[in-house]
Amino acid sequence: MKDNITVNWTKLLARIMLYFVVALICVTILYPYFVMVCTALKSRSEIFSINGTVFPIDVLWSNFADIWSKAPMAQYMVNSIIIAGGSTAIAMICGIPAAYALARMKFRGQTAFLGFIIVSQMFAPVVLLIGIYKVMQVMGLTNSLLGLIFINAAFNQAFTIWLLRGTFMSISAEMEQAATIDGCNRIQAMFKVLLPVAAPGIVTTLIFIFINAWNEYTVALCLISTDTIKPLTVGINIFNGYNIIEWQYLFAASIFAIIPVVILFMSIEKNLTSGLTAGGVKG
Amino acid sequence: MNKRKPHTLMNKAEPYLWILPSIILMSIFIIIPIGFVFRMAFSDVSKAGLIKGFAGFDNFTKVLKSAKFGLVLKNTVIWTILVVVLSTVLGFILALLLNNKFKGRKIARAIVVFPWATTLVIQASVWKFIIDVDYGALNTLLKTLGIISSNVNWTPTPEAFFAWEIACGIFVTIPFVCFTALSGLQSIDSSYYEAATVDGAGYFQQLFNITLPLVKPSLTVATVLNIIYVFNSFPIVWTITKGDPASRTDTLVTYLYKLAFYNGKQGEAAAVSVIGFLILLVCASVYMVSTLKKGDE
Repeated sequence: MKDNITVNWTKLLARIMLYFVVALICVTILYPYFVMVCTALKSRSEIFSINGTVFPIDVLWSNFADIWSKAPMAQYMVNSIIIAGGSTAIAMICGIPAAYALARMKFRGQTAFLGFIIVSQMFAPVVLLIGIYKVMQVMGLTNSLLGLIFINAAFNQAFTIWLLRGTFMSISAEMEQAATIDGCNRIQAMFKVLLPVAAPGIVTTLIFIFINAWNEYTVALCLISTDTIKPLTVGINIFNGYNIIEWQYLFAASIFAIIPVVILFMSIEKNLTSGLTAGGVKG
Repeated sequence: MNKRKPHTLMNKAEPYLWILPSIILMSIFIIIPIGFVFRMAFSDVSKAGLIKGFAGFDNFTKVLKSAKFGLVLKNTVIWTILVVVLSTVLGFILALLLNNKFKGRKIARAIVVFPWATTLVIQASVWKFIIDVDYGALNTLLKTLGIISSNVNWTPTPEAFFAWEIACGIFVTIPFVCFTALSGLQSIDSSYYEAATVDGAGYFQQLFNITLPLVKPSLTVATVLNIIYVFNSFPIVWTITKGDPASRTDTLVTYLYKLAFYNGKQGEAAAVSVIGFLILLVCASVYMVSTLKKGDE
């Protein structure tokens, strides 16, 4: 009897501790976003006043409107969409057939190709930046959206193939074989039978590449010098000058850059993590 | 494309046609840049980036002789180890917490996604604002709460700046570890725990004897990937300090960026790239061997 009561007390205490710690972590994680939103709504003088404020005294919604005229924000956004969309398309066009071959066919050099994919995933563009810059010079693609699209597509190729191969391998090949007997060729069988079944995995991969390309900063910073073709991640730093930082505009613009990605990310988080680890564990 | 058997040559060539687009893409934009980096590392390169001739190991000796390089390498090692180790430990603990069933778990999971989805350059900008000595949000918050009476200088030394950069790195890396660990935790069969409870095993015994061994594979993958990402991470340091003053907060990637694009020393920058490349290649090989081995088991 007494034992039961102590057990219940410890259980209750553990519950309270759990809630407390989780709440504390959530508050910490949200703190930068809280700061971002509050600052985006303040006036410049309020931000730099000696007695700073936590919440804005005068809520300036106009900051969110001003950024569109103070900087080519709409253009940055369009550029980000073109870069992210273009890289996703190219990564998928090249990645789907490769993943299909790896999942469904046996060929000489398969392990070597797989090994190469794993190794290539290890090299972030920043270490190769000088080489990338040279290649872009030779191809006349420095300072162009197309160059960034190709770079993002190439550096996301490993993830694309890795995630899609895992998805394809988890789907039985029987249906495709049946379709082949019915007279479909491989390409038709893939499009009509495999891809519809693999749609959830494909969408997860697609969104993941889109987000990666949308968030890419370093290569864009290095390759793009014309203001009108900068993506958001680089462009918003127009408010982050050497002498004057317009925090309110920087954060207002940042919020626009974050929101679409966070929503997309939440939609795929569950599929993505299981895909990433499954791919890694299964090899 | 024919599907009948007689075309054996076609059949043999077919898989290669399927992987060809991918190979072309990666060759042009990954392999060739690697080639260029190696060529420039062993060349005499002009300020404009023109290769003037073979230079042997000159670039490497220049890099290794400079006093800064040792510092940069030390910073990179500290940065990588601290961010990876601490975010792995904290991310795993967070995953253990979120693996409990409680009200609001879905909301908590959604919140943890935020730092993962946010681009690093924006995260770093906010942290730069938060820790600012004159008008930073942290000082304002603590003053409003009455915890401090006057502004605290959170970054009195370059080392303090670097510590904040590491904290920011940990902050943004935790979600990835947390979610990979969580997917590992959720695949553990609950019957293991039931059996252990019957045998009288306590919480920590279960943690070390059941949970950890079973989550280890997914944690290993996450850790190796993290080593690579963190080693290569550029935006946080670049946004907060640009590696200044005098390289005291530089890591390898910010250092080589400055060498190449600010100081016009492309040959030396290429040499730094090669050194970084070799370090990563060792990590990558370890990863590849262990991953492919697991597939054979």
